[in-house]
Formats: sequence, C-alpha cells, structure tokens
Amino acid sequence: MPTVVIASSLARWLTPTPTVGAGERAVHVEGTTVREVLDSLFTGYPQLRSYVVDERGALRHHVVAFVDGVVVRDKQTLEEAVPLHGEVHIFQALSGG
Amino acid sequence: MSDQLLVSTRKGLFTVERSASGWRVTNTAFLGENTTLAHVDPGDGGWYVALNLGHFGTKLKYSPDAGATWEERPVPAYPEGAEFVPGDGKPPVPATLKLIWALQSGGADQPGRLWAGTAPGGLFRSDDHGQSWELVRSLWDQPSRSRWFGGGYDFPAIHSLCVDPGDSRRLRLALSCGGVWITDDDGATWTQGGHGMMAEYMPPEMQFDPAIQDAHMMVMCPSAPDTLWVQHHNGIFLSSDGGHNFVPIINGQPSVFGFGVAVHPHDPKTAWFVPAIKDERRVPVEGKLVVSRTRDGGQTFKMLRNGLPQEHAYDIVFRHALAIDSSGDRLAFGSTTGGLWVTENGGDQWHEITAHLPPVHAVTFVVNGPKK
Repeated sequence: MPTVVIASSLARWLTPTPTVGAGERAVHVEGTTVREVLDSLFTGYPQLRSYVVDERGALRHHVVAFVDGVVVRDKQTLEEAVPLHGEVHIFQALSGG
Repeated sequence: MSDQLLVSTRKGLFTVERSASGWRVTNTAFLGENTTLAHVDPGDGGWYVALNLGHFGTKLKYSPDAGATWEERPVPAYPEGAEFVPGDGKPPVPATLKLIWALQSGGADQPGRLWAGTAPGGLFRSDDHGQSWELVRSLWDQPSRSRWFGGGYDFPAIHSLCVDPGDSRRLRLALSCGGVWITDDDGATWTQGGHGMMAEYMPPEMQFDPAIQDAHMMVMCPSAPDTLWVQHHNGIFLSSDGGHNFVPIINGQPSVFGFGVAVHPHDPKTAWFVPAIKDERRVPVEGKLVVSRTRDGGQTFKMLRNGLPQEHAYDIVFRHALAIDSSGDRLAFGSTTGGLWVTENGGDQWHEITAHLPPVHAVTFVVNGPKK
C-alpha cells in the first residue's frame, strides 16, 4: 500500500499543541489517487485534515504534495494516480521571521 | 478583580499572573505560533484561543483547565457557494475562512453559546461550546454586504461582538469596513446601526453611508448596555441608543485616531483610548506613549502617562490589546513592540510588566480566575 510521509513541521500538529522535536512521520494508507490517499490519512488522523486541505477540500495554498517525486499540480481535484507502493510527501512552503 | 491575563502574541500565548511581588509571566503556550485572540467563557471558565498558522490555516484551541491541557476545536467554515464580492471593485471570490477576529460567549441563559466574528465578514454561531458552527445567514445575506470591504486586511472582518448582559438576544457587532449591526432577536433579523459615523476615506457623497464605516473597535458598557463607544478610523464615536446612532467625540487628546477602546463596566461615561498619529504613520504622537481617558462622556480627556515611555516610543496598541477587568480599576494593554503594561487605579499609574514580548495582538482578563 502507498506511504504518506508527513514533513516534521506538519507532524508536530498531530497533537493539540505542537510537539517539540517531532520528526517526519511515515504512514501506510489505502488509496489509488492523491485524494483517496489523503482521505485515508485523515481517517487515521482526523485533526490533520484542516492543516492540509482547506474547507473546499483543496490542498492549502502553501502546502504541496509530491507523488514519487512529482509535484501534484491540480490541488483542487487531487486525482493524480498513486502507485501501489508509491510514496506521497506532504510539505509546506518555507517562510518566517 | 482579575489576577490573570492572557496575552496573545505573534509568537504564542502568554499567561500573566499577579502575585504579592507583582505581575509576571507564568506560562507559555504555542510558543512560536501566531496567536491572534483569546476568549474566556464566563460560564465555565474555558479558554478559547485562535491561531493563524499561515500555511496551515486558522485554528481554534480549547482548554478546559486554564491551559494545562488543550483540545482542537473545529473552526467556522463558510458553506459551499458562499461568495465574497469586494465593495472596491475587485472580482468575486469564494468565501473561505481567513481569520477569527472576535469570540464572544452568549448570555448566562445560553450555556455553550459562542459567537465568532471572522474575515471575510461572516458571523458564526455555536451552541455546543465550539464543537460545531453555523454561518448566520440573516446577516450574511444582507444586500448591503456588497458594499463592505477590507480595512487593513483584504477582506471585511468582524472584530467586535457585544452581548447585552440583561438580554442576551440583543447583540451588537462592528466590522471593518461595514459599520455597526444590531439584532434584538438573537440574530434572526438585523438592522444597520452606526448612523452618524463619518468616513473621510470615501467620496463626499458616501462619507455617511453606515455600511462602509471603518469602526476599529466597539465596546458596550455592561451596566448601561445602550452606551457603546467606538474607536473609528476617523475618530471616536459614542452611542446612547444601543448602537443605532452615534455622535462624534471631537475632544480626544492628543489625537482621535487609534484602535483600542475600553469602557468602565459601571460608568458609561468613562472610557479609555490609546491614541496615535493617523493615518500614514501610526505611531504615538511625538513618540510618547499615552492612554487617553474621559470621565464625562467625551467632553474632556486626560492624558495618562505615568509609568509609560515618553521618549522614542513607537508602540501601537491593536484593537483587542486594551482590556479592562470587572472592577473598572484594573486595565492592561500590550503593544506591537512587545510592551505590556497594567494599571490598578484606572490609568493614573501604569506598571510595565515586560517590554520584550513578541508583538501583542490581544490582551484578555481571565474572568473566573485560575482553574487549577
């Protein structure tokens, strides 16, 4: 089954207050598209949904997903195929100050 | 009196408590995260904290035990098809939550009721302690909403929610920029208030349109709920008829520009402001940080400066960053440059708690005291 790799800056929000020192998290999930893979991820980690997608279900503006190293271009439909043993990485933009 | 403050800052939530040796920071939560607002439910003492995480969106956290533990609460969500049409000519865009800018509990007869004011202009209601939210369509569907626009933000945003302590069906709200709105039936129907406000930033024929007024902050006197004070972009305004009509207060010193306003809980004629140079500079007049107080309904003002920096001070106090407790003697405010001050005597003397916090967005007195 596919693997979703959650970047550490996102994985720290798996708890209500951010976990200091949280590393990246790899989760095995079901699904054949990015949408299905994410829905499967959110079933196990419901609190993560609003951090990754907006209220319309689209990937947030400053969140990006890669499938086996290829960026997901349609952030609204998320219909890109995910291979059986594919790896989906979720990252966020760099910023701060 | 309240001996506990919640200070929401660009880099986290700070708990500040009073002891025999004075006020000091006693706890930090969400360090490094953009904390925009805190609200304490007077009914059960629960803490609600809004975060704006940028990449990951707006979040709402709840603590039932004074910050010892936290729970995730869902944020208000705009329904499918909700659209924001900017009043300044930009094309329509789908309405999605940009910011939680106001949180207010309902009356004592409404346990679990929370109102949330948001950008882009939606008012939301919860009757289950924020476990679920519903857009208040009766306000959202007002035809004049098409004239609302952003002031400071790209979107109009509700920042002030005032519930009448004697009749919780009476709610008054204010937004930038959409003026003042009034309901006397718990949100079933709404009336445009704020008549008499004037907007210098609009063409002459539109300056008195109540639907485009940039009320920066509005507060209601709990013991005289028909008295509402507004710090507006173009000055100070006072209503004595429950928010329907306002009169300009022209005697504010050293200026009438600012963001925050506090009203005495037992004396509707006493109010505090933190003035600044309008509009292009937004710094204290002459680099001197002062609080301005009227005790006679705005006829005269006294500048309060004891204990405040009077040289090269560039502290701006945002609209939610000036707070008063239930006694009316104790006030606190925090600034954009990380200063935090408190007074125990209505502003005659101020004490600096710290000058080194992150930029302060909001200051909130804890109404029920620490729950441990």
